[in-house]
Amino acid sequence: MQHVFAMMLQPDPYQSVPPLYADNATIWHHMSGALHQSLYRVVTLLIAFLPGIIAFIVALALSTLIGMAFSALLRRGLVAARFDDRFARNHGSVDWAPSGSLSELIARTAFWACILVGLIIGVSACDAAYATAAPQSSSFLPYFTHIIGAVLLLVAGTLIARFLARSVLIGAVNEQLQYARFLSLGVKWLVLVLTAAMVLDHLHIGGNVVELAFGILFGGIVLTLALAIGLGSRDLVSRSLESHAERTSERSVTVQANQATTSADPILHI
Amino acid sequence: MATADSISGVTAPSARRSAGLLVLLSSMPPEQLVEIIAKLTVSFAPEDLIIAGSDAFEADNYPALRIVPTAAINTSWMLTAADFVNAYQLAIKTGAQSILMLGPEANTLGASGLCDLAKAVLTGSTDLAVPRYDLPPHARLITSAILYPLVRALFASRVRFPMALDVGLSLRMAECLAGAGHRFNTLNQGDAFLWPVSEATVAGLTINQFGVGPRTLPHATGSDFNTIFPKITGSLFADIDAKAAFWQRFRQLQPAHSFAPMQPAISTNSIAEIAPLLQAFQLAYKNLQEIWQLILPPSSLLGLKRLSATDGAAFRMPERLWARIVFDFLLAHRLRTINRGHLLGALIPLYLAWVASHFNIIASGIDSESHIETVAAAFEADKTYLVSRWRWPDRFNP
Repeated sequence: MQHVFAMMLQPDPYQSVPPLYADNATIWHHMSGALHQSLYRVVTLLIAFLPGIIAFIVALALSTLIGMAFSALLRRGLVAARFDDRFARNHGSVDWAPSGSLSELIARTAFWACILVGLIIGVSACDAAYATAAPQSSSFLPYFTHIIGAVLLLVAGTLIARFLARSVLIGAVNEQLQYARFLSLGVKWLVLVLTAAMVLDHLHIGGNVVELAFGILFGGIVLTLALAIGLGSRDLVSRSLESHAERTSERSVTVQANQATTSADPILHI
Repeated sequence: MATADSISGVTAPSARRSAGLLVLLSSMPPEQLVEIIAKLTVSFAPEDLIIAGSDAFEADNYPALRIVPTAAINTSWMLTAADFVNAYQLAIKTGAQSILMLGPEANTLGASGLCDLAKAVLTGSTDLAVPRYDLPPHARLITSAILYPLVRALFASRVRFPMALDVGLSLRMAECLAGAGHRFNTLNQGDAFLWPVSEATVAGLTINQFGVGPRTLPHATGSDFNTIFPKITGSLFADIDAKAAFWQRFRQLQPAHSFAPMQPAISTNSIAEIAPLLQAFQLAYKNLQEIWQLILPPSSLLGLKRLSATDGAAFRMPERLWARIVFDFLLAHRLRTINRGHLLGALIPLYLAWVASHFNIIASGIDSESHIETVAAAFEADKTYLVSRWRWPDRFNP
């Protein structure tokens, strides 16, 4: 019986059973084949996309060089033509130009305009290369413009936040408010949070989650400030307002002759 | 900006006779007008005067006096570009040879002072006659701290009160100021301040200062100190910037004239509390460091750090430190290191610190005017610092 079982378990020597080593080779062959094919696709895509990247770099570099040359020529021409003096004579001094020089502002604007044109050309070349290389018909350009817009929004929002924070800080310090720093930081972060929400919305990131989160956060901050000022800091605010009113009346320039003799003469700054 | 027709009341040219002095008055009650006219007619014949003002009053006692209604001048507390333009136009229309512009509360000026101002321009000996008021030490502190030292150091003029409230002008001085004022008017900035002393100095016209005794100062309505201070200092800084080619050259300071001593220093008890000024400076020192670091060099910041460690009667700001601070803010104003509104707002606490120091010095027994002269001398001594940084702003500056 045991012999029968042994015979049954023994493989038929005349049957052609594929060896295990042959299975492993086939699996390995399929796997390497798949890897090679995917590698080939990616490399092909990259090779097809590479001219676009190089075109982008070349376009950016060329536009930068052209921008530098153009802005230098423009600056020299405007200085030679005494453009700043003529403009100031007709329209007054320019307060919003860097270092008061309108020529410098125009030259810098021309430089950045050339770079922007180079960027657009480069992105367009990238986009064309990607479109021909990729099987999908998607285009990279629209999203890239959204990214540019988001970056500009972020820069503008940061500048506005810093300006407003500084204005509030100086104004509050001159009004002798002890919580000047707190006010300034509050204003700055309010503007930055608003900017961040606008940037994320512009990039279509997060969707309703971002809008909801921003609404809750912003509304919470404003409500907190309102409650703090309206309820929690009544005494502090009333003391600040009283001391401010006293200081305003002390500092204001008053008619000297009508003042009765007091123990402390008010300071007349003007 | 004044837009009213300022010459509507001028008589026809055929009936006009030329008079010596055109007196432009700001808006004031009739009794003050009468008081001023009474003082002027002591030294001048009524037919030599033309009185121009926006307020009507009875001039029955002076039948020969010519009254010309015009738009109110000096509606604020300082003469503006529009005021000078209107004054010159009115002088041309009426044929006046000189102009006397009087601000609010001018009736409190002494008769001799008024007449000195008027005679100086009427006789042609002076193009710009400016008054030197006899004021207490706690009055016109911005002038003492900033305006007078800067004008003296840069334009070599000893005019004690360069911020015009009452002035006497010759016709050519009025023309010079009207030209400067017209530029502001065309830019819709008729309420911009003009600085007659610097204009006269640059134009090479003669300036004379006359002691006029005490005067009641008008109060600025509708504005608080934090608004007025940047306006005044910003206007002066812009004027200095515009005249940089002139003041960078060496100028010999005018010889000092002796004037009657001003009112004696008031004792500490009667001077306003210094503590709020020190508190304002300490609060600003804690919060505005990051802004001051953009404007002031390390040496000035170190000086402020030492100052913040003192308090009470020991609080003294060195004159040289104050001069350097003002010069650095002037440079930052020109270079637009930060927004100009922020810049001048950040100067306010430092100015208040100087005021506190000034009161401490007066309380120690030093005469107020002596201290102000010391401050002005410090500005003069450090003029080379300003000139070098003006020309080479990027040079290493510890």
